[in-house]
Amino acid sequence: MGRQNGKKIWSIMALGAMMAILLLPVATSLNALASGGGEAPPAPAVKAEGDKKDEAKVEKGRDVYYKTEGIVAGAPAPKTTDGTKDYPRYNFESRVLLWFANQQHLYYGSFVLAVPIFCMIIEFMGVVTKDKAMAKKYDQLAYDFIKISLTAYSLTAILGGILIFTFLTLYPAFFGYLSSIFRPVMHIYALMFVAESGTLYIYYYGWDKMKEGLLKWIHLSMSVILNVIGTVLMMLANSWIGFMMSPAGVDEQGRFLGNIWHVIHTALWNPLNVHRILGNMAFGGGVVAAYAAYRFLSAKTDEERAHYDWMGYIAMALAVAFLIPLPFAGYWLMREVYAYRQQMGITLMGGLLAWLFIIQATMIGILFLSTNYYLWQALGRMRGAEKYQRYIKYLVFVLVVGFLVFITPHTMVMTPAELKAMGGQQHPVLGNYGVMSAKNGGINVIITTTVLSFVWYMRGNKEPMVPWKKFGNIFMGTFFGLAYVNIIWLAIYGYYIPANVRVGLSVPQVATTLSCLFFMTALNGVMLKGAKQMGPIEWGKISARSQYAIIMLATAFTWMMGLMGYIRSSVRLFWHVNEIMRDNSPWAYTHTVGFAANMISFNVLFFWVSILFVFWLGTLGAKKAPVEAKAHAPGRVPEPAHGH
Amino acid sequence: MKAIMSAAAVVGVIASLLLLGMIFGVVKADTVHLVEGYMPMQMIFELAIFVAGFTGLSYMLNSMGMAIPRFWQGIGFVAFILFYLKSRVYPPIPFSVRAMYGTVTMVAVFMWMSSNEEDWKKFRQPILNVMDAATPKLKLIRTLFLIAIPVALWGFSYQSFVPQGAGADVDEPIELRTVHPAPPASTKVHGKTFVLQTSQNPYRVNPEGKYDQEYSNKLIVEQAMGRLMQANANPWDEKAEGYLKNVREGGEIFFQNCHFCHGDNLNGRGLHAFAFNPIPANFTDPGTIAQLQETFIFWRVSKGGLGLPREGFPWASVMPPWEQHLTTDEIWKVVLFEYWHTGYYPRTWD
Repeated sequence: MGRQNGKKIWSIMALGAMMAILLLPVATSLNALASGGGEAPPAPAVKAEGDKKDEAKVEKGRDVYYKTEGIVAGAPAPKTTDGTKDYPRYNFESRVLLWFANQQHLYYGSFVLAVPIFCMIIEFMGVVTKDKAMAKKYDQLAYDFIKISLTAYSLTAILGGILIFTFLTLYPAFFGYLSSIFRPVMHIYALMFVAESGTLYIYYYGWDKMKEGLLKWIHLSMSVILNVIGTVLMMLANSWIGFMMSPAGVDEQGRFLGNIWHVIHTALWNPLNVHRILGNMAFGGGVVAAYAAYRFLSAKTDEERAHYDWMGYIAMALAVAFLIPLPFAGYWLMREVYAYRQQMGITLMGGLLAWLFIIQATMIGILFLSTNYYLWQALGRMRGAEKYQRYIKYLVFVLVVGFLVFITPHTMVMTPAELKAMGGQQHPVLGNYGVMSAKNGGINVIITTTVLSFVWYMRGNKEPMVPWKKFGNIFMGTFFGLAYVNIIWLAIYGYYIPANVRVGLSVPQVATTLSCLFFMTALNGVMLKGAKQMGPIEWGKISARSQYAIIMLATAFTWMMGLMGYIRSSVRLFWHVNEIMRDNSPWAYTHTVGFAANMISFNVLFFWVSILFVFWLGTLGAKKAPVEAKAHAPGRVPEPAHGH
Repeated sequence: MKAIMSAAAVVGVIASLLLLGMIFGVVKADTVHLVEGYMPMQMIFELAIFVAGFTGLSYMLNSMGMAIPRFWQGIGFVAFILFYLKSRVYPPIPFSVRAMYGTVTMVAVFMWMSSNEEDWKKFRQPILNVMDAATPKLKLIRTLFLIAIPVALWGFSYQSFVPQGAGADVDEPIELRTVHPAPPASTKVHGKTFVLQTSQNPYRVNPEGKYDQEYSNKLIVEQAMGRLMQANANPWDEKAEGYLKNVREGGEIFFQNCHFCHGDNLNGRGLHAFAFNPIPANFTDPGTIAQLQETFIFWRVSKGGLGLPREGFPWASVMPPWEQHLTTDEIWKVVLFEYWHTGYYPRTWD
């Protein structure tokens, strides 16, 4: 026993030392960050001004965003011209090449940042659950997840390299300027990447060695560290795009003013951080769920089908858990965009890019429709859930009405003849669905209905046995009913009040939806304690349609991510860095909607083809697994992918 | 349950007959008319009534042993929605929106029909039967489909290429028009720079002469049917002072200059409106001035179509740059009048 404890202590110390070594470079570099990143080197394009460096050091400038004064510590943003010096090029549109490299890196980056968060949650569920068989299943699932992400991790790094080379070779002036401002941040980013890789490898390869007792908790703690590092990495990368959209910490000429925190903490940084974390999680869940769906559809045995049905369900549940708050985070981001620059907000939502937002609304609707459809299909694998199935048609109606309101464009696509027949740009009936008040109502109705579907799913094969079940049911029914009334009423009321008050109405609407989500699911959980089981959940006995719904969900996530990234980037119009550094390349125009849609589709297709390859690699090491599992636990559902 | 379903069935039958009657002229076309101001909710409400009615009808027919097959229920519902959108809603809905609604309806019907295995089997059975063609009758139907589908596709393609309309003129192509241009950070009018984010209408003032939006908001016309003036808030009252007097002056400028195009009801249907394509902006629509800051309107009026930003070009706007004809004060007063008359509040960011 004493020997065991000694071993544990040594393991902890060794792990601690490893973590310390990994994080040491980051800690030392923070000094540089605290001192403002030191002196910025002159950008390559402005080397001619190098002799004025000393003079510039004492010069003061005014922060374009924070309005504070600071000592000029960097060169002005280069004024580029259309030529091979600032924009070296192949006989092809450089912007499209960069778009492709960036998007692929982002897809993989999101995936590998999201999956460890899932692993952390699932591993934790495995540790705390009392049912030993379930604990093992959860642990195996978490391991399967991290294994998938490991190959994707290498690809992320490769794609990151490709992205940097693309920047350096095709946009040297711009990248030179950006790296002159973010020099210390970029170094810390690289060091964090080392720390992330090291932690990930220890976490993955130490899985078997640290599977019990205290060591398991340490293993679990490592997943927390892994995710903290991953999140900081993402936030640092977000600071670059935040700076490009809403620069701060520089003067009007783009000269760095010595405060690196101002450069990082721009107007849109935090909304972007929150939106991206949630988005990554939803996306990652979607991809893993699609993997499970693919394995389910290609499964040869009932055991495999059962396992992948369950895996898909867990991944889907996690994806949806993060999908639900995503529109609200997006709403906050847009609000901050409007507050930062009105013209940017209008370009996005009412102007040049507004058509893309209609496509986005459609994609969001598809996500929720697919989710609901999956939950309804999942009722099919529970005996006793038939009683709910006949009411699904009413949920379809409510959901679809909310969806139609949500996707109705304010300005419709029409021929001039139709325009004349309609007598104006706006339709007097449907035009009302095109403004924010109605759309807020629409999306909240959709989300509340999704919550209702989930409550039904939870109840599928159970009959509450609590003495107050009648009261509970009436209370829940009334609560949902009043929630719908409140949401719809506020949507109508929004037309009769000033815009600033109307914007505020989204708060009670969201509060209503979230009350349904948290309060009703919690109450439902309490009501179902000690509930009578009407029948078992027959994992694997779910329709193939449900799996196609999952694949659709994942594809819609991918497509939407590509779309929103494009919109966010395009809103700068002809600026590399908004109002600071102008894009003078021949590609400083906004693409047509059709071209953008094709490009996004190509990126989505490429990602899915490449991730299928990653999935296939994941199956290579697991070929013998079911046999081993059967040998160890006869009669139990074997878990595939026992490669470790 | 049966009583509720019977009542729903009766409602369904009456609603369907009424709809058909109105469309085919058996009863007056506006027997149940879409009420201005309530139309969006009325449409959803009507659809909900139909859904409830059809459910009741289906239930009753089922209990009488005359159940409508699932397949035909689904097809029938899609057909009904397309028919409703085409014939009930006026003015006509553009094809692109009907196509969108129709597609979503088909998805909805699929979700409904495939929500459980039993229904799904019933729904797809007729399709499978036709494809299997086990009987001569089904074989005939399958053959007809094989001929009809390519012919229909050919017909649609042909139709889409044939020049439409009088004199066989080819229709202008569809234009994805950007309605709200992105405004600049500031605009210069008559030598003075106005920052759009922070400038205020100097005539939106309370009796003390201070900018006060809450005060002016209380005096605008009531935003309901008929758009009634508030009691004791008549700008054309000779004694009207301050804000209301400014509204009156703005109104005079509007009727001297703007109403020819934007209409005396500010709905974009003035005398000359239909000479333009697109017709002028409709200020009574909740998506135009109600969504925008007062300074945005000030910028648009001052600079007109010529001053629209580069992105989103071409704009298809013949709005003159009114700074060439009106003073800054006159432009602010016109803007004030437009908000007063439509009953909308300008957007603010606080």
